[in-house]
Amino acid sequence: MGFLDSILGKTRLPEAKTDKLFAISTAAITLDANLGYKADGAAGVCIKPMESSRYEAARAEIEELLKISIKETGTEYKIHKDEYNYVWVVFADPDFEDLVTNIQMVSQILMEQGFGTQLLAAVYRFRGEAVIYWIYNFKLGSYYPFVPASDRQRDTSREFRLKALMEKEMPIEKDESKWYPMWGMPL
Amino acid sequence: MLLTMGLLAVLYLGFLAVLLSMHVSQMVIILFMGGFMFLQYFYSDKMILRSMDAKIVTESEEPELHQIVSRLCANADLPMPKIAIVKTSMPNAFATGRNQKNAVVAVTTGIMARLDNNELEAVLAHELTHVKNRDMMVMTVATFLSSMAQILVQWLPFFGGGSRDDRDSGSNFIVLFLVSLVVWIVSFILIRTLSRYREFAADRGSAIMTGQPSHLVSALKKISGFKVPTEDLRKVEGPVSALFITPAISGSSFMRLFSTHPTLEARIAALQNIEMELEA
Repeated sequence: MGFLDSILGKTRLPEAKTDKLFAISTAAITLDANLGYKADGAAGVCIKPMESSRYEAARAEIEELLKISIKETGTEYKIHKDEYNYVWVVFADPDFEDLVTNIQMVSQILMEQGFGTQLLAAVYRFRGEAVIYWIYNFKLGSYYPFVPASDRQRDTSREFRLKALMEKEMPIEKDESKWYPMWGMPL
Repeated sequence: MLLTMGLLAVLYLGFLAVLLSMHVSQMVIILFMGGFMFLQYFYSDKMILRSMDAKIVTESEEPELHQIVSRLCANADLPMPKIAIVKTSMPNAFATGRNQKNAVVAVTTGIMARLDNNELEAVLAHELTHVKNRDMMVMTVATFLSSMAQILVQWLPFFGGGSRDDRDSGSNFIVLFLVSLVVWIVSFILIRTLSRYREFAADRGSAIMTGQPSHLVSALKKISGFKVPTEDLRKVEGPVSALFITPAISGSSFMRLFSTHPTLEARIAALQNIEMELEA
């Protein structure tokens, strides 16, 4: 949002950027080969729901397409509302590429229907020395690592290490103040 | 809003022109006031937090609040403000800070107890929009020359205009006094009008950021049903105080023109319009 917009008090949510979303595919190979983190068969998209019948229509379309899509890929999915009233589409599939495809599909439909602004994040879970998450922020168009430790604490040193090691492999958000934690994820 | 801002700018330019055509001695006041406003602009956030007895809380102290705000910020690509809590049963929330980087969003324990997570999110989004819209800066700029005029009106009768040798000083003084008086009164109305526009804009921002205008409607209804004790907060009602969700002082609505916030009915009507827009 520009300076003039803010002075005049206009609010627009930024559009989603999906061009870097696929970067996780190649990054997953490096994560496994070099760092020992394997894709954990779980991923999800986090969406800010909206009070609008058009949004409801888009949601219904996504569910229709998901039913078709999972027949081809064998992916399981469930739709979940978290404690902050955000909607999650959570996928389970041992094939990582299928996870990426399904997440891409959901974000694509929402954008086509004009609800790209409601896309918050895509999340992929990996497992190695620890359980780590790569969070894709649709508004920034970049990834960042999120490693929850016990009791709502983050393992920040591991997160920084992941950043340092993966920086060349995937677009990682440079502004660390935007590495927002996501507690209470349904995956 | 643009019209109000334009009228203020024209008024102030005229005022400045009159001031500049007067004696140099008045320029000293301008510089003095400028310095004062500058300090206020820089330190107001700390002053507000102290006067409200607001305590900045960390993420581990208030994980829920941080999670609500950080998700809103991530979704709107805004920098994350600091979060503060005021221990009072009075339900309110405010934002302060001279820019986005120094912003603080505060809620009272009263509002947290009264609202559910959805409504609290709507209120926080309203405050975040104040930060995003740079309302602190806009209102500081808007009030600057108005405060000048006010001071001139209050002090001129005691100090008179310039030296005694100057034959024109008497008439100059009267002109300056009258001009200041007019500028003060007109700018006061314009500033309050501007303030109400900024509140509408913050409500709209909340509706867009949350995607759920109805959450703010129910939050506003819940908060305004609560009778606010007045004496507690008199000091808050300064020139640039803080950007509250509802007026700090529940002045009876006898003069709508002078109120900083639109009426509850007007705000709810505006939010219902946004609800219709989201449908279209």
